[in-house]
Amino acid sequence: MANIFPRWTNFLPFKIAICVGALGAGVVAGFTYYATPKTLAVGYQPSQPIPFSHRIHVEQLGLDCRYCHSFVDVSGHSNVPTSNTCWNCHQHVQKDSPKLQPLRNRMDPLLKHPDFGKPIEWVRIHKTPDYVYFNHSAHLNRGISCQSCHGRVDQMEVVYQDQNLSMGWCLECHRAPEEHLRPLEEVYNLEYDPEKYLAKEVNGVTNAERLGVTTTKDLGLKLKEMWQVTPRESCATCHH
Amino acid sequence: MSKRIWQHPDLPADEKTVSWRSVGQLENTADFRNWLEREFPQGAAEMADESEAETSRRSFLKLMGASTALAGFGMAACRRPESYILPYANAPEWVIPGKATYYASSFPRAHGATPLVVTSFEGRPTKLAPNTSHPEKVGTDSFAQASVLDLYSPSRSRRVLKGGKPSGRAEFEKAFAALAADKSAKIGFVFGRDDSPSRARLVKELGSTFTNAKFYAYEALEGEAHKAVGDGQRLVADFAKADRILSLDCDFAGLDPVGPITPFFDRRKPEGKDYKNKPSADGMNRLYQVESNFSLTGGMADHRLRVKPSELVAVAQEVLKAVEGKPAQGRSAAWIDAMAKDLKASGEKAIVVAGSRAPEAVHHLAAAINAKLGSVGAAKALQVVKTDAQGLGDIVQLQKDLGGVVEHVLFFTPSNPVYDAPADLKFGEALAKAKTSIHFGLRTDATAHASTWHVPAAHYLESWSDARTSTGVYTIVQPMILPLYDECASELEVLSALLSDDGKLLTGEGEEEAASPAYTEVRKTFSDLAGDKEEAWKTLLREGFLADSKYEAGTPNLDAAALTKAQKAQPESDKIEVIFATDGSIYDGRWIDNGWLQEAPDPTSKISWDNVALIAPKTAKELGLYEEVVPLETPTSAVPPDGEGEHRTGKLISLSVNGTTIEVPVQIGFGQAENTVIVSLGYGQGFNADDELGRSTANEAHVGQVGVNTGFDAYPLRSMGNPYFAALDAAPAKTGKAYTLAAVQEHHSMYGRALAREVSTMADKKKGDFEKQLSKVKKHGMDSHAPPNVSLYKSEDREGNSLLSDKLHQWGMSIDLTSCMGCNACLVACQSENNIPIVGKEQLAKGREMHWIRMDRYFASQQLTDDHGHGVVDENDKPVFDEENMEMIPQPVACVQCESAPCETVCPVNATVHTEDGLNAMAYNRCIGTRYCANNCPYKARRFNFFDYNKRNPLVAHNLYRGPLGEKTVGTSAHLQRNPNVSVRMRGVMEKCTYCVQRLKDSTIRQKRGQKQAALATGDSTATEIGVNTLRIPVDSVKVACQEACPADAISFGNLLDEDKSRMVRSKGIERNYDLLQYIGTRPRTSYLARVKNPNADMPGAELIGKATINMH
Repeated sequence: MANIFPRWTNFLPFKIAICVGALGAGVVAGFTYYATPKTLAVGYQPSQPIPFSHRIHVEQLGLDCRYCHSFVDVSGHSNVPTSNTCWNCHQHVQKDSPKLQPLRNRMDPLLKHPDFGKPIEWVRIHKTPDYVYFNHSAHLNRGISCQSCHGRVDQMEVVYQDQNLSMGWCLECHRAPEEHLRPLEEVYNLEYDPEKYLAKEVNGVTNAERLGVTTTKDLGLKLKEMWQVTPRESCATCHH
Repeated sequence: MSKRIWQHPDLPADEKTVSWRSVGQLENTADFRNWLEREFPQGAAEMADESEAETSRRSFLKLMGASTALAGFGMAACRRPESYILPYANAPEWVIPGKATYYASSFPRAHGATPLVVTSFEGRPTKLAPNTSHPEKVGTDSFAQASVLDLYSPSRSRRVLKGGKPSGRAEFEKAFAALAADKSAKIGFVFGRDDSPSRARLVKELGSTFTNAKFYAYEALEGEAHKAVGDGQRLVADFAKADRILSLDCDFAGLDPVGPITPFFDRRKPEGKDYKNKPSADGMNRLYQVESNFSLTGGMADHRLRVKPSELVAVAQEVLKAVEGKPAQGRSAAWIDAMAKDLKASGEKAIVVAGSRAPEAVHHLAAAINAKLGSVGAAKALQVVKTDAQGLGDIVQLQKDLGGVVEHVLFFTPSNPVYDAPADLKFGEALAKAKTSIHFGLRTDATAHASTWHVPAAHYLESWSDARTSTGVYTIVQPMILPLYDECASELEVLSALLSDDGKLLTGEGEEEAASPAYTEVRKTFSDLAGDKEEAWKTLLREGFLADSKYEAGTPNLDAAALTKAQKAQPESDKIEVIFATDGSIYDGRWIDNGWLQEAPDPTSKISWDNVALIAPKTAKELGLYEEVVPLETPTSAVPPDGEGEHRTGKLISLSVNGTTIEVPVQIGFGQAENTVIVSLGYGQGFNADDELGRSTANEAHVGQVGVNTGFDAYPLRSMGNPYFAALDAAPAKTGKAYTLAAVQEHHSMYGRALAREVSTMADKKKGDFEKQLSKVKKHGMDSHAPPNVSLYKSEDREGNSLLSDKLHQWGMSIDLTSCMGCNACLVACQSENNIPIVGKEQLAKGREMHWIRMDRYFASQQLTDDHGHGVVDENDKPVFDEENMEMIPQPVACVQCESAPCETVCPVNATVHTEDGLNAMAYNRCIGTRYCANNCPYKARRFNFFDYNKRNPLVAHNLYRGPLGEKTVGTSAHLQRNPNVSVRMRGVMEKCTYCVQRLKDSTIRQKRGQKQAALATGDSTATEIGVNTLRIPVDSVKVACQEACPADAISFGNLLDEDKSRMVRSKGIERNYDLLQYIGTRPRTSYLARVKNPNADMPGAELIGKATINMH
């Protein structure tokens, strides 16, 4: 009986298997790279109705985060300032800036603009899914800074997403909070540097000596122990 | 493949308690066993569309494959959708985005307002809770809890109607201004029976401005009490002072309150309300109940006497005789004599309360008995108070006046007179005689359509008003939100507009630059009462009530002539009587469009969405109806043709009174009086083309989506002479027709021994005295001989640390069956707190209800024994049980948060896991819907979303089965009620109680702010030690929704680590505490406290009471 399959087909199954395997691995690798929050979310930088610059307001003018995000240490939700917060200053400052026209339309009754009294539609940048209950106050009051999640907002001309906010990323910190803990006084100080903090002298004693720590990691561990910080990893912590 | 079935050992041979949830169980039908053995009933968990066409695995894969392929074309998911943050333009005061604000308000009602605290998220009221700082402790009932849904109800009236057709507010305002301008107009005002000081003041002013004005009050089920007690007067009980209570058909704990109810339940607990004392029967009250139906109050009673409603007068006469020292006569003489002796022994601490709907004679007799006992008077257990609602005419007067001295009539009453006035009054015809009739209401009901004008009323959460509680505490009604619809008007706004110069109807915010008219009126009333100080007004708004305000004392009305007449009355009849009962779900019909109340099972019959005719088993057997209701197994058919679940039907019977006939499905009602038929009122207001029985669609517009096609209207049988009960012309007749019913009584049935436990304060020959019985509570049922459990699961991790690692909080709960009466308040509160959807009648019948709390209701009775102590059996070898002293034990069961939870071990995706603080958590977003967990839950506490009940309205016919083509209801008004801190679950997700984890998280996070405070105080956060007391929440400071709602204080919740400081821990420390199904070793965090009955040893049948420990199969 003649051979139905020629000789070259002997290795065909292996070749197919290798190709399929490579393709599969490629898809997985591609998905991990392109379709996970690390790539999709980090760096998201939409343009806003008013090109508000955090750099000007924080770095140059020295406003505290809580001037605008006033309930961030009280509520789970960090509030975006109401138009009247902006208007407090900008009815006197930068009165002619074209960038602020949308604000004036909404706040200045004299303009009689149809948008008067309507809210400004800020584009949302940091977004967790609906089934995640993240609480700002729980973190800020326990020594986790804005910076840990939002990056150096004080230096951002246009705000972008700095961290990926994925669940794995949340858990990383919940498992080792010492890497992010800082004294409560420094939570809103985005320029905080733990090295400098430890070296700082108060009444002739450096903070390092006073707290009996040497490295920045020790500082985190010390705070964690002193404040009994025990972040949860169970589901109901964020999902309910 | 076989499922391991737990073989419960046999019952002890001397066990005489028979207990059951449904007739099916009592008769042990095959269908009932099916419910017991399966997690979900047959059919509920299988894929089948409504036309029974099978969706095969093959077609499923085909469809899935196609849709996956199609999904690839669009790539719609690749771009992140842009979403926006819209901050306020001007920040409103007090609002912190993401945090709730709480306001004190109240819900005005006929028996006195319910003081409330309203939770409001960014201006949306979402949840109601009792105001605990209010001097009157009433808790909330299911109606108060569900009333927030009415605000957002999709079927709420939004437009002004003229002659039943949509009109406009402008057109109405013109007609209204013309009416207001004519000061000699013959106007009649019809209010509800609630009492509002502002309204009372405006009524006086209207009376002097409009010289021909007449004022009336009407509620459908108001009864005849006011005739006996005196016009505008009311009898109010202070249960804290009452040692002995005789209730003559008065459901005072449920539908017919006579005073703040929480103190009554405080005195049911042998250890005192806070579980601080040694258990003793001395502080407990004793309740004697004489009634026809099995009411919730009757379920609490220590002794209960079943009588036909017509016999009630005779019983009251005998009680009066016995209290006066003469021996009672008649069938129940022994019962009455022993009881009267006990009442007399307690003297002025014994009270008699009569049901508000009981005949007038009963009220006169009750007043005479109370006078004899000396229990009425200032600072005594009963007080007569004088309300502000004086000199109001009733509906009979109005019917006579219409067309004559009343030409224009304004309806403010929450009842619906065209539908619910006595049939022989022919109120609809009388109303047609009026020149103009204006109806203000939340619903476009029959009266709205019969009136010239219908104006949508503002909900009480949208309007300024004031009210009095039952003892007369001045209580504020504050608006939480502007009326959702522009055309709404509130009662005070209308009355004040009539008094204004130009008769202009100002609603909502009123005119610019001026306070709204209703606010101005309330403010004026308040300053008349408490002065014009701003400070006092602010205190009122904050606290919700005016301290030390109360009704003036009234004068007891002891009318000797009326009493003599009452003593001579002999209304007994030998006919079967039909009782027009107040409905536990929709009251008099006003709540027919409230989905939560419709879906909450009736507390006794456990029927949802409909009303039925209830007949006691013995009477049913005599009438040949019992077999109709319980299709017993026959040798030829193993499965009866009818039973629980989607195929359950009720056989229609016909009831005739004075020639008027209605047809109602019949069910067995345990514990009710023989020869009575109980039909509740309020259903059957409108039908559409989908109605199962093809009834007339003439009234379709009178009800919304929720209330349409539900139930049977019993109002046509009711007449002026027979407003509460009537003798039937003939015995109820079978009609051969059947009607689908949704009953949840067998759903989620649990196996097990000693589920609900009961003891008696009375010494028993076998069980010993009270102390001995208490010490044995933990040993009831199986727990007496089951060996201690050894857990296969370790409670420590590899390092030996406890898995329940939280050192600050370990949550726990206890439920006291002594004070739980099964009123459903917790069930509805849970629904509003946790975004639980309604599923509709069809789905509910299949066992797919979503209520996280299942209100089990067990009936129990003792098998009769012969002289040798052997149980009596009938000719079929079935035990014969005592029908006179039947008990009803409710037991709310939600997830008990097992420490060794069987559900957790079987979840393939770890969607249900334990938290460090002892909760059995559900991660909804992780659940893939295998339902293994529900299969493995011995408490059957898990609920599965078979459909997307939240997005796809289950009330639209066939909607759920249309899949993506079905009608989506996103963004309707009902969605505004949602709690933003709880995920809205979607199809295919399991859900259950998690102890309101959102509230626990909120409280612990709030507590963390203490660290900041401590740091601010010391000036250096790194020098501040943080201790347990900084981070642990204050003792008993967090309340879960069910606990908060409970009018009986039956639920305690708290932190186990607070030890004896917490009420919950104290309650777990007493002897009555036991775990449900303790012997299977799940170590639940929720425990139950056994029920205690406090019988009087001299009463006949006392030895049968307090033994209803429930053993199931």
